[in-house]
Parts: sequence; structure tokens; C-alpha cells
Amino acid sequence: MTQSGEHVIRVSDLKKHYGDVKAVDGVSFEVARGEVFGMLGPNGAGKTTTIEVLEGLRDPDSGIVEVLGLDVCKHPESIKQRIGVQLQSVALYPRLTVTELLDLFGSFFKHSLPTKQLIEAVDLGERADARSMNLSGGQQQRLSIALALVNDPDLVFLDEPTTGLDPQARRSLWDLVKGLQEKGKSVLLTTHYMEEAAELCDRVAIMDHGHILEMGTVQELIGRRFKERAVFFDTSPKLPQDRLAKLGGVTRASQEDGQTVLYSMDVPSTVGALLAMADELSLEPRNLGIRQATLEDVFLDLTGRALRD
Amino acid sequence: MKTLIGLTVANLKGLTRDRAALFWTFFFPIMFVLLFGLLFSGSGDSKVSVGWVDQDKSNASQGLRAAFASVSLLSLHDGTLEDEKTAMQHGDISAIIVVPSGLEATIGQGQAGKYSSSVALQLYTDPAQSQTSQVVQGAVSQVANGFNLALANGTAVLTVAPLTLTSTNVSTVTYLVPSILAMALMQLGVFAAVPLVQQREKGILKRIGATPLPRWELVASNILLRLIVAVVDTVLIIGVGMAVFNVQVVGNVLLAVGFVLLGAGAFLSIGFMLASFLKTEEQATGVVQVVQMPLMFLSGIFFPFTFMPDFLQKVARLLPLTYLGDGLRQSMVNAPQVAPLGLDALVLAAWTIVCLAIAARSFRWE
Repeated sequence: MTQSGEHVIRVSDLKKHYGDVKAVDGVSFEVARGEVFGMLGPNGAGKTTTIEVLEGLRDPDSGIVEVLGLDVCKHPESIKQRIGVQLQSVALYPRLTVTELLDLFGSFFKHSLPTKQLIEAVDLGERADARSMNLSGGQQQRLSIALALVNDPDLVFLDEPTTGLDPQARRSLWDLVKGLQEKGKSVLLTTHYMEEAAELCDRVAIMDHGHILEMGTVQELIGRRFKERAVFFDTSPKLPQDRLAKLGGVTRASQEDGQTVLYSMDVPSTVGALLAMADELSLEPRNLGIRQATLEDVFLDLTGRALRD
Repeated sequence: MKTLIGLTVANLKGLTRDRAALFWTFFFPIMFVLLFGLLFSGSGDSKVSVGWVDQDKSNASQGLRAAFASVSLLSLHDGTLEDEKTAMQHGDISAIIVVPSGLEATIGQGQAGKYSSSVALQLYTDPAQSQTSQVVQGAVSQVANGFNLALANGTAVLTVAPLTLTSTNVSTVTYLVPSILAMALMQLGVFAAVPLVQQREKGILKRIGATPLPRWELVASNILLRLIVAVVDTVLIIGVGMAVFNVQVVGNVLLAVGFVLLGAGAFLSIGFMLASFLKTEEQATGVVQVVQMPLMFLSGIFFPFTFMPDFLQKVARLLPLTYLGDGLRQSMVNAPQVAPLGLDALVLAAWTIVCLAIAARSFRWE
């Protein structure tokens, strides 16, 4: 238990295979108390399998998995009393009301929070007596977070909490997650939205094909790979790649999502040289912009493909 | 226990708030009772057939026969006591009146004022058909009274000695009510596969698996819910049968309740077993239909078992619904048996154990 003061999750060389499919193939990471930890990756990367092993829903094939200082294989019941779980896209009993569902789930635990308090926490006061089938997508997601908080857990698992939500509902959910952290809870969430990870997570792990490719704070991950900033634009026809790569300050030129992207150590001289070159070819770069590299770029660089693929 | 009740109440709310489920669970069996009741109740002769056994063979007995024949409710059917008993046991007639020998002699003595004794008409009725029996008993005592009055010297020459003879044939509606109950129990059990598969497909089972709730409580609450539904269905079906079609439940109530529970258990186990192998709600709905159809038509619940050709009877003897229907009919309305009650119970118990064992081995929570 001395270790658990620092870490709410310790995973060492976790493996879970389904036949020939290596869903999780040697994953190790730790989550500190009070930390919001994000697992990023495309569908099939192994995020959900990992999280479900941590929740006690699946047995690992091998590896050490400790949650709140307890071995998940040996003490699943004690762990379940103290964690909050939100699963990916779960429809709940459709004909029960928000209040009834929270009361019901509360009854499954030794200790539970008052239903009213939970409803207020997720701002569903006006829908307290609505059947869950009649809630909007965002409201259902908030209900499923309220259900995850019903036992006042120390550690909350959120599996793609904002998938399928509109931007406004997503923002309100982000506020909820930030609120959890302020209350001292630890959070492990999975997402395939880079901006969500950047907004919420203290640290992220990028997963693909059952492996963690890289792990750290968002700034660390970007800084580790990209000292440059990206200059992006459209032209028609495309400018010749070999000439672009030789422009001032450019370390690398590539085509991403139909746009030309120049990675530059010296943005002013790159842009100046680019405009001169375009002028010479009588082409006008459209949608010209400059941005810092993002997690998306990191992912692309790590895996050679965009996250949403 | 608190969580078990809570979960059962939650499931019950889910059921009662779902109109389609309500219809199939409660109104469909009632509709069956009403439909079959209407179909078969109209076909019966409104007259009551009564066997007439004349052992006196005298003018007096002829006169008595004429008096009974004039009662419009009754149609008489002459024969020996043996023949009439057989006919009644087969359900061809509903009662037997026996005129014992010595009627004319007794009347003669009475009229001469020498000696007064009485002659007892023997009346056989079937307590299982109490309505018909009451009609016949009423008619017989009325005729007997009239006969006594006609003799007009104040001595009661004719008395009525009530006797009972259990008919092994019951009215079609009465036969059908336990059968419809068996069908309803079969359906509620087998159809339990659908919500289970649905809850698994939607991830509800998995979500609950992520709480400390023990899985047995989840299963137990499902069983409890279905047993509650079984009891409600039983009360509704029998209630409607009694209220609308005067169905008489004359058998052993405890035994009938036992068969209701045993049957619900067996078909729930089959439902759980099906849910173990089915992946989507659509699959479950289809397979459940495919399973229940032959059960309904091959198990002799809507027509006597013996109407079926031999090879179908052999098939039917393997099906659990055959034994539930038989057990319920025997225990509720003393219908003729397909198998002894003990065997009925044993077969249902065996199906329960085997299917539950298979379900326990292969049920998947996600």
C-alpha cells in the first residue's frame, strides 16, 4: 500500500491475446494519484482492452496489473467497490428514469452518494425524472458519468467519453472531467480526439497495434519529435516537393490531408522564400497558415497514418 | 437481498413501461383464452345429454321417463347402466338417471295405503362439471317432486340418491385453459432469452459486471421477475376462463401451482440456454419463434394428444411442453393423462437441470 500512495494504476508487461490477434502486447505504464491520464490511439489499438482489464472485466493473459494497490486478478470485488466505470457507448435500461438508474446502481455498492447530489454534479436536474431513452446523446453521456461516480470512486475510467457528441456537449463534458480532478480523483480516459487529450490530460500514452508507442506530457511528446513549426497551404498545381524542401529553414516537406506542410525551424524566412517561389511560378498559396506541431502530427509521425483512419 | 429486490423492481418497471412487452406477456394469452373459448363454446349442444337406465321396465317408469323427456333442457339416451357409465366416462353424456326396479310395486303399495316406502332414483353426475351437474340435479328433483305431488297422498315415493362418477372427458374450453396456461408459461420462459440477449448486446450486462454486484444476483433477479410474471399470467388466464367461460378448476390447487413453477423453471432454463448461444436481438427474436412454434403444435396442448399420428406422438413425447400441459391439465381439471404426474414432473425437472447446466457453461456476459 505504500506504493499506492503515489500510483493508482501500475501495469507491467500486460498481454491479452484473442487467438492470433494480439489486442494488448506488452503494455507498461503507471498513473499517479490525482492524475488525468489519457490513452490515445485509433480503433483497435488496444485501449479498450487495456481499460477493461483494469476494470476487472477481462483477465489478463500475463503481466502485473495493480489498481489502487490491489492485484486485479486477486481482488476484483474490492477494486470494483472503489472505481468508477464508464464504458464505451452503453445504452442503459431504457425505460428507467435518471433517478431510478442512479438509485439502482447506488444499491450495488457498499457506499454510495446521494442521487440528488450526483444529478446536480452532472447538471441533469431538469431531466431527473426523464427515462434514459429520452435523453439526448450528451445527457446520456453525462448520466453514464454520474453512474460512474455513484460510489464516490478514487479512480474513474472513462472510455471515449465524448465520442459522437457535438462540440458544445463535448466542452461541457470536459468541464466535468476537470471538476473530477479538482476533487482529487484520478482519471484514466481513452479518446481518439487529440485536442481532448491536450485539453484534459496531464500525461498521455499513444497506443497502436497493442503497444504504447510513446508516453509523456503533451508538450514532451511534441517537443521530443518536433522542434519545428508547421507552415501549411494549398496550391494548384502542387509545388515541386524537392524545391520546397530546400527553402530556408525547412527541415522536411510533406503532403498531409491534401495540404502541403513544411516543417520549419525559422518560420519568417520559410514563409518569405515560399511566397517568392510561388510568385516566380505565378501560383498563389491559399489557406496559408502556421501552427505548432500537434499530437496529431506526433501520431502521424509515429505510425505513418492519421489518427482517424 | 436489497439489491436483488431493487434489480427485480427495475426489471419489472422496464417490463410494465414497455407496451409491446406488456401485450405479449399478459394480453396475448388472455386473447388466446377468449378466442379459443368463443370458438369452442358455441359448438356445444345447449341440451344436456342424460343417460336413462330403466331397471323397472313398467308403466310407472315409462311415465317417469315421459316426465323427464318433457324437460326441454335434457335429452335422454336409453341404455343399460354399464353402457351409460362408459358413455359418461367418454363424455358423450353428462349424467345418468337410474330407475331401480320396484318403482311400480312401491307406487301400488302407496296408493293402496298399505305400506309406504320410497324408491330412490340414482343420479350420477360429475363434480368436475358442476354447472351441468347442478342443472341436471335441479331438473331431477323438480320432476321427482312433481311425481310425488301427482300421487297426491302426501307420501314421498320418489327420492333422489346423488352419486358421482368422474368423467374423464372435460369440455373443450376447460381442457384448453390449462393448455393455454402451459403455452403462456412456455412463451414467457423461452422469450426471456430476448431481453437477456438485448441487455448483453447493449452492454448493460457488462456495465453491471463492472460493479461489485455478484452475477448470481443478476440471474436470480431475472428468474424472480419471470416467476412473478408466471404467477400473474396464471391468475389472469384462469380468472378469464372462469369469469367468461365458466371454466371449473376442480383439481389439486397445490399440485397445479407446483406445475406452474416447475414449468416456468424449465422454460426459463431453455430461454437462458438459448441466450447463451444467440448474439443479436434479431437472432434471438427469430430463434425464439422457431423454437416455440413446433412446441406449441406438437405438444398436444390445443387438441388431445391421441389425435396425432404415431410418429408425431413419439416426437411429442420428447418435448417439455407436452409434460407441462399434461401436468397442468391433470392437476387442474382431472383430464386424462398422457403420462403419470410423477413422470411429468420428472421430465420438466430434467429439462431444467440440463438446460441450466448448459447455460451456466456457455453463457457470455458480453
